[in-house]
Order: sequence, then C-alpha cells, then structure tokens
Amino acid sequence: MTRTPDLIDALVECGTPVQRLRPPLVRAGLWLAFAAAVVVLLTTLHGVRPDLAERLQEPMFCTGMAAAVVTGILAAVASFMLSLPDRSRLWILLPAPALAVWVSSVGYGCLTDWVSIDPDGLHFGQAIKCFATVLLTSAPLSLAMLVMLRYAALLRTHTVTMMGGLAVAALTSSTLVLIHDIDATLMILIWNLGAAAVIVWISGHFGQKAFSWVASRLPTIPTDALRR
Amino acid sequence: MSVRRHSATPLTLVASPSPEEERRVQENRDWSRLMGRAQEGDRAAYRTLLDDLTPYLRSLAVRCFKNPSDIEDAVQDVLLTVHAIRHTYDPARPFGPWIVAIAQSRIIDKLRRDTRNKSREIALDPSHETFSADQTNLQAHLDDIISDASALKRAIEHLPPDQRQAITLLKLKELSLQEAALASGRSVAALKVATHRAIKNLRHILQRQDDRT
Repeated sequence: MTRTPDLIDALVECGTPVQRLRPPLVRAGLWLAFAAAVVVLLTTLHGVRPDLAERLQEPMFCTGMAAAVVTGILAAVASFMLSLPDRSRLWILLPAPALAVWVSSVGYGCLTDWVSIDPDGLHFGQAIKCFATVLLTSAPLSLAMLVMLRYAALLRTHTVTMMGGLAVAALTSSTLVLIHDIDATLMILIWNLGAAAVIVWISGHFGQKAFSWVASRLPTIPTDALRR
Repeated sequence: MSVRRHSATPLTLVASPSPEEERRVQENRDWSRLMGRAQEGDRAAYRTLLDDLTPYLRSLAVRCFKNPSDIEDAVQDVLLTVHAIRHTYDPARPFGPWIVAIAQSRIIDKLRRDTRNKSREIALDPSHETFSADQTNLQAHLDDIISDASALKRAIEHLPPDQRQAITLLKLKELSLQEAALASGRSVAALKVATHRAIKNLRHILQRQDDRT
C-alpha cells in the first residue's frame, strides 16, 4: 500500500493549474441552450404537428407541455447543483412540483379521453417515427450532460444521473408532443411517461458506468482515481 | 455508521504546542484560500493543504474504521478524490462543507465496498490450507522425503557407469543434451538411450527396495 506522504508527493507533483467550473446555473443554462438548439433543429427539419395551433388553444395541452418543459429545466438545474459536493441534496426536490403537474396532466388527459382509444390508436409506422424522435433528441442531450457532469462519477452518481435522465426525458417528451400528432391517449401515455421512464431507468442503471467511461477518456479526473 | 456533518464555519485544527507552530497553523487555517491557490497551480500551497487535511480526514475515518490500514486507505481515497475534482471548488464558498461532503461520500463508498467484500469472502485459517491426505502435508513427511532422496542417491550409485554418468549430467546437473554430449564425449543419441535405461533401472531398484520394506 502506498504511504500517505508518498501519495501527497505524487498529487502535488500533478498539481497543475485547473480551470474552475462555472457556476452551476450558468452551466445548466448552457446545457439548456444546447437542448433548445436540438429541439429547434428537429422541429425545423421535421416540421411541427399540423394541428399545433389548434391544440395550443387547449388549456390541458398547454399545461402538460409547459409542465414538461419546466420539469426539464428544473431537473437540469438540479442535476448540475447536485453534481457539486457542497450543495444540498434537497435540490433533488426542485423539479418535483412541475413533475407532479406534468404527470397529472397526462394522467388527466388519459382519464377524460379514455373512451377515444380505438384499435387504430397504435400505428407501427408512427411508432417508429416517434422512436426516432426520442433517439434524436435524447442521445445528444444525454451525451452533452455526460460530458459536462463527468466529474460527478466520483460523487452522488446515482442522484445526478436520475436528475439528468429526468431532464432529458422531459425535454424529449415535450419535443415529441410538439412534432408528432399522437392524440390517442394510450399513445400519449406510452410516449410521454414510457419514454421518460425508460430514459430515467437507463440513466439510473448505466449512469455510473457511463460517467466513469467518459471521465476516464477526458481530462480532469486521473484514471487511477477512478480505478480505486 | 455516521459521519458528522460539518458546519460552514472554518474547520479547527488540533491545537499546536509552540507559538511558531500555532502561527503556521493560523496562517494555513484558511484552507479555502490554499485551495484557491492550488487551483492556480501553486504546489507549495497544495502541499500545505493536503498535509493539513490529512489528520483531519484521518479523524473522520477513524470513526468508521478500526483497522489502521483501512483508515489510511479511506484517507488516501479522499485525497485522490479531492485532487480529481479540485476544479469543482468555488473559493467564494466555505471549504468545510465541500471537503466533508467528499469525505463522507468516499468513506461510505468504502464501507459499502468492504461490506460487499466481507459478504463474499471467507477468511482462511490453517485448517483450510492443507488437505487431509498424507501426501499434501509435506511438513509432516519431511523425514520420508529426506529418506526418499537418499534412497534415490543410493540407487543411482548402483547404476552402470554410462547410465550413472547420463543421469548425473542430464537430470542432476540439468545440462542440455548438447552440453552433456560435450562434457561426456558421447553422442546425443547414446545419452538419450542411457538416460532411458537408467530411469528404467532406477524404477526397478526403488521398487525392489519398497518391496523389501
């Protein structure tokens, strides 16, 4: 076993100047700007759903949409806050109210429109398109978050990945609603909460490995520290 | 397991006896400033900080571990993490919560790791190290081994001269066939044949001795 004074010698030897992190709110803002760019790019390339103007008149649609976006923003802020060791764990509660509104708006829509489910509610072709949108939105956002929060590999990995996953999931879901005409309530339920649950589940299970993998390939964290 | 959460106030160090030492401690007390300078590449400040932090981290680790090597392991783990994520510290904020949160996280991780390992591993005691079969307990049969070696030596002496020479050069002195051929002035083929016959004869001689006993 290495002696502690020897370890200190080695660490001091590697004590090169480091770039301090920007404040977490600024970093969250940068990530959200990137997310906005991805959403704008996708909606420009794909086009918004034909009945968007009509749907925006409906309070429930607007509430659900706004709640999803706010959940994404607050979850992103929470994940950047939680990634710092000296910030309170209570930041995890930040997106909770918006998340509750989002989930309940989807659930309420599902309840009121339950009768409108028809056998043609699930179309295979549309499902594939929806899946492609989920991938195209969530993949770059997750990757950006992994790179920006790679130092969290050593601390609070699980919490940070869950929050990051929630942010990605909420923004992906709002993009999905913006682009795809998915009125069947079952589809809304599947694609909103289903996609969100899958993204959060993936983040929770593979987040630590992903963070460690990214951190070991990018500067800042020495590999020997991660191997311990 | 519990690690006491530190307040945001500056951390107090162990009181030092001499005024000179006390002055040095006061000077270095501002760990926040030291970390700020370390982030800018000031290695002397970084060394002072890590040296000052070590006893404090040890005092945290000692609450959770009894084994001195575990305590040092935890301290080193925290120091490595501090080094790895030193860029996350904002000098405008208090240093205490930052270092305590890191220490807490790494100590809990180590406790979890140790618990997992302990649940999978079984400590070996001497009874696990040998099988009950006589052949595996070498220490108990040292005398037999010595007598076997002397019996073999005697058996080699009874071999015909050419076979004895072949077995001595190739098996006891462990020369290669070419080296043994040079040393003995015999061909490689002759040495091979002699060795084969010698081993066959030795087997018969030792077998006869065993039968007699």
